Amino acid sequence: MIELKQISKTYKRPTGEPVVALSDVSLHIDRGEFVAIVGASGSGKSTLMNILGLLDVPTSGQYLWDGADVTSLDPNRQAEMRNKKIGFVFQAFHLLPRTTALENVELPLLYSDRRSIKDLSRRALDAVNLADRIHHRPSELSGGQQQRVAIARALVNEPDLLLADEPTGNLDRTSALEIISVFQTLNGTGRTIVLITHDREIASFAGRIVSLERGYRVGDDTVVRTTRVPQEAQ
Amino acid sequence: MKNTRLARHSLRMMGRYKLRTSFMMLGSVIGIAALTFVISVGQAAQRKILKTVGQMFGDSGIVIHDGGGEMMGGPHGPGTRLKIDDIAALAKELPGIEAWDPMQTITTSVRHGDSTENALVRGESERWPQVWSRTASRGDLFDETAVMGSARVAIIGETVAKELFGADDPVGADMQIGSVPFKVIGILEPWGTDPHGMDRDNEVIVPISTLMRRLTNVDTISAAKLVVTDPARSDEMKAEIRRILRERHGLTAGQPNDFSIITATEIRRMVGQVQRVLFLYLPLVAAIALIVGGVVSASLMLVSINERVAEIGLRRAIGARRQDIRLQFLLETTITMLAGGLGGVALGYVVAQIGATRMHLDGVNPWTAALLGVLASSLVGVLAGILPALRAARLHPAEALR
Repeated sequence: MIELKQISKTYKRPTGEPVVALSDVSLHIDRGEFVAIVGASGSGKSTLMNILGLLDVPTSGQYLWDGADVTSLDPNRQAEMRNKKIGFVFQAFHLLPRTTALENVELPLLYSDRRSIKDLSRRALDAVNLADRIHHRPSELSGGQQQRVAIARALVNEPDLLLADEPTGNLDRTSALEIISVFQTLNGTGRTIVLITHDREIASFAGRIVSLERGYRVGDDTVVRTTRVPQEAQ
Repeated sequence: MKNTRLARHSLRMMGRYKLRTSFMMLGSVIGIAALTFVISVGQAAQRKILKTVGQMFGDSGIVIHDGGGEMMGGPHGPGTRLKIDDIAALAKELPGIEAWDPMQTITTSVRHGDSTENALVRGESERWPQVWSRTASRGDLFDETAVMGSARVAIIGETVAKELFGADDPVGADMQIGSVPFKVIGILEPWGTDPHGMDRDNEVIVPISTLMRRLTNVDTISAAKLVVTDPARSDEMKAEIRRILRERHGLTAGQPNDFSIITATEIRRMVGQVQRVLFLYLPLVAAIALIVGGVVSASLMLVSINERVAEIGLRRAIGARRQDIRLQFLLETTITMLAGGLGGVALGYVVAQIGATRMHLDGVNPWTAALLGVLASSLVGVLAGILPALRAARLHPAEALR
């Protein structure tokens, strides 16, 4: 489904000196995979996530999506792709404050032409087991619940790819495992997931681990037997 | 469909930030309230001035006052010399005078039975209804014979009628002006209050000969009004009148006029100047208030964008295009200013009503002001929204989310 060919990204510091964030990274992700991209901070994993999520364009290389070149789409087409094909989950949740769970989940639909917004949003919240919290505001929800609202928001447009950037970074262990469990369930129903994390333990719950180090891809292991989230955390 | 959905969403979001939204509204509320007040009171005042000018001068009036000075109420020199003969001579010598009416006034007590009232008594010729465009609403007017014979007949204003006669019908009744008995023959058409705040219904009109002989005992008049056939020539007429009167009064070069002349054209010019102040400078003040309000809103919006960087990044990530972000922030500012503007129209109207009541103005009509207020506040909203909206749309999504 996704094919990155020799992607590089170079930033310029304000001083003008260039910083290489990614060097020649090639990556192939098939539909239905659950891939963890791991690396320490500064390894280029956030840059990779931005490029995968069409939030940024590479300096060189090619990005194919279902065989079509999406490397340099015009910004409006990129926005449309993000809206329809990609669901984002962030470390900081990025839920709108003073706004109910339901309204937060509706947000991507506002930028689409989809109808029956309320029904779709309810269904998405139901899928992350928050059917009883739809009128709660973020401040009335626990961290784990907030992240599940964010996942429902990412899923509401039924994207091909779920892109999660350190989704457990702000959560305690129990909530983190709860989120990972949601991902495993989603992956079980065929959803393609890319999880970016610095935490090897969290990564071990994925089906495949891609390691980055100082902008280079240094490892790609397919996990033979995926770790299941302990029962009590589910 | 998508845009209406986004607009509704923006509205809801602003509702969640009531404090910020109210502060943004405040500038527009004050500016538009000032604008509404100025315009609706200004319009009412203008109508009143024009009505009064129309009542006093018509389209083609020239008023000559006894005594020097250029304006009404100017210094009335000693040795007042304006006489009926002067005006009659003007009418005879100058072509284009349609009608004329001499006038002498005295403020004195009027009485009926036990009721006494001070009123302005005006002596006029039988031509006053034609010259002053005022008539009796009930009863009769007096004719030339009455003026020739110094008849003791009076036409009284509504205020005088009410004070002296109460509910009784004054027409045909007796009354006293000073100590002279008169017969009431008619009731004056109501007029209202003039710009000096005088109640023009507290007047009595009698034949000028009667007033001069029986009440004031002087042979000069205080003023006269001429109605000319061609108002466009009133400046020339004024020069002619000045020449003839100076000659008749034996004034040599260097001696000031002992009379003053005002034409309808001059009055209209003066009213025009007043209007320019009312409708140029006062709205300018309101506009400045509105601009200050717009600047305040724009800066509040800019601050709010700095606080909402993550929100903007998120919206971009989930599919908002640059133009969607731009639209959202433009709408937020515009709708806020517009809502403030509507509030301002309401506030301004209430204040204008209170002000108008105090200033004895009626017919305060808010519609022009409301329309202008809505347009002005939307315009300021759009202008104040442009910069924040552009700033918001320029944010790079990846950086905004960091």
